[in-house]
Amino acid sequence: MQGPATLEQLIEALRCLPGVGPKSAQRMAYHLLQRDRAGARHLALSLDRALEHIRHCLKCNNFSESEICHLCASGKRNPQQLCVVEMPTDLMLLEQTQAYSGMYFVLMGRLSPLDGIGPRDIHLDRLLARAQDGEVQEVILATNYTVEGEATAHYVGELLKARNIKVSRIARGLPMGGEIEHVDIGTLAQALIERRTLN
Amino acid sequence: MSSGFARQDNQQVYVLHTYPFKETSLVVELFSRQFGRIAAVAKGARRPRAAMRGMLQAFQPLAASWSGKSELRLLHGVEWRGGMHLLHGQALICGFYLNELILRLLPREDPHEVLFEHYEAALVQLANARQLEQILRRFEKRLLQELGYALPLEHEADSALPVEANREYDYVPERGPVPRGEAQSGVQLRGKTLLDMARDDYSDALTLQQSKLLMRALISHYLGNRPLHTRQLLIDLQQL
Ligand SMILES: [Zn+2]
Repeated sequence: MQGPATLEQLIEALRCLPGVGPKSAQRMAYHLLQRDRAGARHLALSLDRALEHIRHCLKCNNFSESEICHLCASGKRNPQQLCVVEMPTDLMLLEQTQAYSGMYFVLMGRLSPLDGIGPRDIHLDRLLARAQDGEVQEVILATNYTVEGEATAHYVGELLKARNIKVSRIARGLPMGGEIEHVDIGTLAQALIERRTLN
Repeated sequence: MSSGFARQDNQQVYVLHTYPFKETSLVVELFSRQFGRIAAVAKGARRPRAAMRGMLQAFQPLAASWSGKSELRLLHGVEWRGGMHLLHGQALICGFYLNELILRLLPREDPHEVLFEHYEAALVQLANARQLEQILRRFEKRLLQELGYALPLEHEADSALPVEANREYDYVPERGPVPRGEAQSGVQLRGKTLLDMARDDYSDALTLQQSKLLMRALISHYLGNRPLHTRQLLIDLQQL
């Protein structure tokens, strides 16, 4: 069945969302037009506004409405520490810990050697410039503990160490309140292999 | 050996690669001991608390269950087989290189148990992170061997005369070593390099260097035009 051209266009447009196939796109379009026209209007306006106003912060590469984002501009952060994360959601979670008061750099991705996503695709030139601003003393690599996150940490680490910048990697191991009996085998094996000396 | 059985349980596998499939699923490229390379869908594996989510990582010894005999099987579950190959730094990038080689050169549904054992041995060695180049050379040689492209190393291409350590050769893909001056092309190397490679002895620096060039040329020859992504990454890392 072929609907009106504008409806077809909307369905086609919705398919640009990750993981949305033709069926889901059609469901979304019907929902927006049939059940939630106000929501649809709001969505259209928000998209339009975001596209116009959101850019990447010049310092941390996170999404921002201004050239320098609030966090980078706050003046309350420790400029000697720079924490590298893959995605904005990672930054938000690290902020929730309230255990870190330094600056950030958001890669907006990760190296994925087998998908052909290489160093040129994750803004490493900008990270390098950021880490060499004269104030940063330590770069903390907080990429995921997936094989891709580890490869990213290795590459970024080598890049920075070659320029005599101190680099550290966030630790992994047993979870908070983790009982050995209930922890998954992989985590336990890693915790054993990467044990630390008590001093 | 056929993969005609509908359901397989407790199969020794390694994850070679995963990529997103539909809204919450993953397609997992597996290298299994018994069935060779297969692809399977892990349904819902991208949901936040999916049981398989953290498990489907490359280089870890897993036991998998799946069903179906189509091109794309359905993955029911994976478990740790015990033992762990923690690949760090450069060794990790080398691990990606092995996976890319297998993905590119090994056809699906083609059992290669011997290669599986070589792969597992290479991962154990990479986890120890010593002499990475030698691990790669040994694996490359065995991979070509298992794929049916065994390298003549100890005898000249046409005459079948024994290779002499002190003589210079041109190694021509799909032919073998030809005494210098008798071939139009090929990789230039000395006899000792070939004899060392036959014995998996890479202690000589020149052997290591020449064997690297030879394997690069041979693998490019069998890969065709599309270069390996991971080789570019290894080159990038060396230039930092
Ligand atoms: Zn910022």
